[in-house]
Amino acid sequence: MRHSARWIFGLALGAVVGAGMAGAVKAEPEKLRVSIIPINDVTPLFSAIKQGYFAEEGLEIDTSPSAGGAVGIPGLVAGSFDIVYGNVVSMLLAAQQGIDIRVIAPGTKIEKIEDDSSAMVVRSDSGIATGKDLEGKNVGVNTRNNVIWLYARAWIKASGGDPDKVTYREVPHPQMEDALRQKQIDGGFMVIPYVALASAKPEFKAIAHPYSAVQLGVDVGEYLTTSKFLADRPQTAAKFLRALRRGIEWYNANRGTPPLLEIVSGFTRIDVGLLKQVKMSPSPMRVDPAQIETTMKLMIENKLLRGPIAVKPLIFEPAL
Amino acid sequence: MMPRQRSGGAVESLFAAPLRLARRLRGFLLVAALLALWEASARLGWVNSSNWPPVSGVALALVRGWTGGELLQLTASTLRRMASGYALGWAAGIALGSLLGINRWVRYAVKPIIEVIRPIPAPAIVPMLILFLGVDDLLKVVVVALACFFPVFLNTLAGIAGIDTVLLETARTFGIGRIKTLTSVILPAATPTIAAGMRIAIGIALVVTVISEMIAGSSGLGYYIVQMQYALRPEPMYAAIISLSATGYLINRAFVVLERWWIPWLGR
Repeated sequence: MRHSARWIFGLALGAVVGAGMAGAVKAEPEKLRVSIIPINDVTPLFSAIKQGYFAEEGLEIDTSPSAGGAVGIPGLVAGSFDIVYGNVVSMLLAAQQGIDIRVIAPGTKIEKIEDDSSAMVVRSDSGIATGKDLEGKNVGVNTRNNVIWLYARAWIKASGGDPDKVTYREVPHPQMEDALRQKQIDGGFMVIPYVALASAKPEFKAIAHPYSAVQLGVDVGEYLTTSKFLADRPQTAAKFLRALRRGIEWYNANRGTPPLLEIVSGFTRIDVGLLKQVKMSPSPMRVDPAQIETTMKLMIENKLLRGPIAVKPLIFEPAL
Repeated sequence: MMPRQRSGGAVESLFAAPLRLARRLRGFLLVAALLALWEASARLGWVNSSNWPPVSGVALALVRGWTGGELLQLTASTLRRMASGYALGWAAGIALGSLLGINRWVRYAVKPIIEVIRPIPAPAIVPMLILFLGVDDLLKVVVVALACFFPVFLNTLAGIAGIDTVLLETARTFGIGRIKTLTSVILPAATPTIAAGMRIAIGIALVVTVISEMIAGSSGLGYYIVQMQYALRPEPMYAAIISLSATGYLINRAFVVLERWWIPWLGR
């Protein structure tokens, strides 16, 4: 009798504690730490956070900005982040080095020529119009041996120049305009929002859009994770992708609208008035392995990669 | 002498107070002139750059940043990391410096390794350290500690090496144990040298904290400076830089005060 009473008491206690825990679990969303670069490219992620799409999937996104983007992949490897936003070149370089890396979701893509805002900018009076004209001159890139550098080289080659005859100088994006004006560089591969401000001035001129000129449809950036994360938490990965896609849809439908500019201004700290001058390109819904393979070939051509990498296995299947 | 004093004295007394004031103000005047030049260069377009704001805009950003609490919070978060790293660095520096200072064998074994690591600039190892320490505060604290360790360590070692042997022999004659000799004879005698190392380290600490926040931060003054640079908002960026410089100055002043209290016999 006493035994069964204890049993019943135990069960009741278990039920209460269990219910309490279940309640706690329900109230406590699953946390994901995402490393981002505070640039327009990650606006769909912030849109999805703002619209509550992640919360609806039971996810809480903790974004950790890295101004230069230098800590993304090392932080992923170290386990500080679950997901990082990174560019396609960094991803392929990491894959070649044997780093456990996977593409979990689409990021940035340039599908139409008119959506390509980034540009090779020169001084209007320089007379430079092609890659051939840049031979023997200095071209500003944010980082050597990375995506901007790669497409600057590819464009120089495509427009008749020898990329090896050009000197590439590292200039941070915000200082590109000053470096051009002070003739430290003769051309600068500029991205938004800086490119919009520079090319609005008569002293500068955008002569080409290297991304779309070299490879229309290029997948410039993606959300990255590890195969371990995909294997251990496939449901979470699927939830992340689903919520992000809703964010992408919202972003694409609201580009240039005041609520979206507010979101961009919130995480970039860029003035809303300034953002109005910037054209935002639509975001892709899926990752395109064929485009990544084209980038890979360019990297091999420019000696960034030793040999080909099987791209498709690097991509989380539902993201295709 | 009398006539000169009469004529000169009158002039002197007439101008003495303004001259003294002018002399005292000279430093401020130079700064004010430079600031005026800054303002003019931005307003009149002498410097044509969107990254060069007028100084009045920076002053406004400075006031807004401090009254709004943002700069206070950023400075506090930078100082917190700096203080943890600094404390860890000097404690390790004194501990290891003392150990190597009093034991020849440990010195032979450990010193070469330390000498190899010493020339590596702390920011250069950040990407490697991320793999072991992640990207959070621990990383920055360790980087700062590492940078602060060397000046304190080397000064401790030098301070101990420079101790008058008579002191040590006296301690030995009185039969004082090794630990007691260390705490009551060696360390007090080496204190001025150690304190000099600590003062060098505190300057390094702030710089390295900010650099590590710039590389791998998502908060603090270092991150904020880079964030504002990329956001094309040079006014708050310079406001943060000025706050940083003021913080560095105040830390140094505070250290001098503490040093006077700690080692009053230091020649002053």
